[in-house]
Amino acid sequence: MYGGDEVSAIVIDVGSYSCKAGYAGDDTPKAVFPSVVGSIEQTGETDEAKPDKEADTASDSKNGTKPMDVDKAKTKRKLYVGQELEFRRDHMKVISPMKDGTVTDWDIVDNIWNHAFRQRLLINPEEHPMLIAEPSTNTGQQREKAAELMFEKYKVPALFLAKNAVLTSFASGRATSLVVDSGGGSSVVAAVHDGYSVATSPIGGEFLTDCMMKSLESKGVAIRPRYSFKKKEISPGEYTVVDLDLPNTTESYKLYCMRAIASDIKESVCRVPDTAFDEVAYANVPTTSYELPDGQTIEVGADRFKIPDILFNPSLSQTIPGVDGFADSMSVRGLPRMVIDSVNRCDVDIRKELLSSILLSGGSSSILQLKERLEKEVLEESSGNTRVKVLASGNSVERRFSVWIGGSILASLGSFQQMWFSKAEYEEHGVSYIQRKCP
Amino acid sequence: MANAASGMAVDDDCKIRFLQLKAKRTYRFIVFKIEEKLKQAVVEKLGEPNLTYEDFAASLPANECRYCIYDFDFITSENCQKSKIFFIAWSPDTAKIRSKMLYASSKDRFKRELDGIQVELQATDPTEMDIDVIRGRAN
Repeated sequence: MYGGDEVSAIVIDVGSYSCKAGYAGDDTPKAVFPSVVGSIEQTGETDEAKPDKEADTASDSKNGTKPMDVDKAKTKRKLYVGQELEFRRDHMKVISPMKDGTVTDWDIVDNIWNHAFRQRLLINPEEHPMLIAEPSTNTGQQREKAAELMFEKYKVPALFLAKNAVLTSFASGRATSLVVDSGGGSSVVAAVHDGYSVATSPIGGEFLTDCMMKSLESKGVAIRPRYSFKKKEISPGEYTVVDLDLPNTTESYKLYCMRAIASDIKESVCRVPDTAFDEVAYANVPTTSYELPDGQTIEVGADRFKIPDILFNPSLSQTIPGVDGFADSMSVRGLPRMVIDSVNRCDVDIRKELLSSILLSGGSSSILQLKERLEKEVLEESSGNTRVKVLASGNSVERRFSVWIGGSILASLGSFQQMWFSKAEYEEHGVSYIQRKCP
Repeated sequence: MANAASGMAVDDDCKIRFLQLKAKRTYRFIVFKIEEKLKQAVVEKLGEPNLTYEDFAASLPANECRYCIYDFDFITSENCQKSKIFFIAWSPDTAKIRSKMLYASSKDRFKRELDGIQVELQATDPTEMDIDVIRGRAN
């Protein structure tokens, strides 16, 4: 048992798109920054080429009792996290620690945690219990890895791993529900009721952003990343754009910057069509204009509806030139299909209840009309007179951060303080005890 | 133990009152609330056996979560007098998010303390715990 709630806990949720971190008990996370990092390969220097901020950490890798493969990889590259990513650097690549919603590169996650604790929240992780929100699809091995890193490297006094979907479900007051979490990197449908039945799809906000970018490109619109030009005011209110030549910029950084713009276009103009997208019917929809950072104005027409419709009909993405199809396009299903399949894998007795409380969360759930369309399609696909209800918080902050907010409340409850997996328990029972403490 | 449980305790009085409802039928319904400061769930209201479902529904706060037990009497299609004990997790959409989180994360533990619940439902607005819903679930 971890005693005392006088020190506030830290809640951290590393998603595929952004990382949310803050104090338990707060309404919103204090720090939200991209989950991707910039990386520059170091050539043949000593192995002390770590980021400076690492040097002063009390828990230097050398003091760690167990050698971790994390440390080996670190010697070869310098990572830039958070705001450091905003500046263009020569040869800097942009890499992500996640693939399909699960962590593949722990070194990057480690750097993201470190950045969150020391640069953003300015706290010493040795003093605060830590609640980590993890994807519902996490394997036992990944949970142990996270726990080991937290206890060995950050020396946290107590830890808890809570499942994303469970936190979302609880934060809406439901112990049984079907959580549709459409985030940046993927969409996950998880049934919450003591156990889980999880369906995932690689279609998330970032995929839609890519489609938006490719679609605009095919129409001859060039998105110029913000770093590649300078704006000069030649006379009041009039600007000229001067191109800058930066040959050492990596392709991935360029892509990252272009995505940021495409993502803003998507967020500004897109909405889900009321019925399945049809190229002919939408050919003459009124366009919406959007001004790019370099001053060009583009008109977005049918794409406003076509891009979000990919969530419902993944095969639509194949019609956009330049978008890579999925290796196995049959296995990628639209959201309504995923919902029905997940429900059908659950016990008959709770199916009705699941369908009547479908919770929508994640960044992509903020696309206009998504809730209405999903409700309509699930209703059509489900048999008989079942009651289908799709719920989404009216507040977009709550929708985006529902996982973090759930964790924040949980970790601040007085009664929860006995639930932590404490350092003492870790030392006594070992890392695998996490599976018992946080099932 | 479910993932992300709050660790909230359950006052012994909850169990005693529930047993009285179950065995002696001394109450029509019981409403429980969580006292966050005391770190436990306690009995808030007890309903006399002669009270109706309307009285029970009216005793729930509109903007706060509660757990409730309701002893539902009904007559089956074979003209048989029966009763079923309902557990209702009342969590209105208009309640504070903190309250919703608190009740949802404590529910599993709470429910397990009360042995003999026959039907369980969660309600987020009054229509989800309408008397017709209750009747439908009883059969």
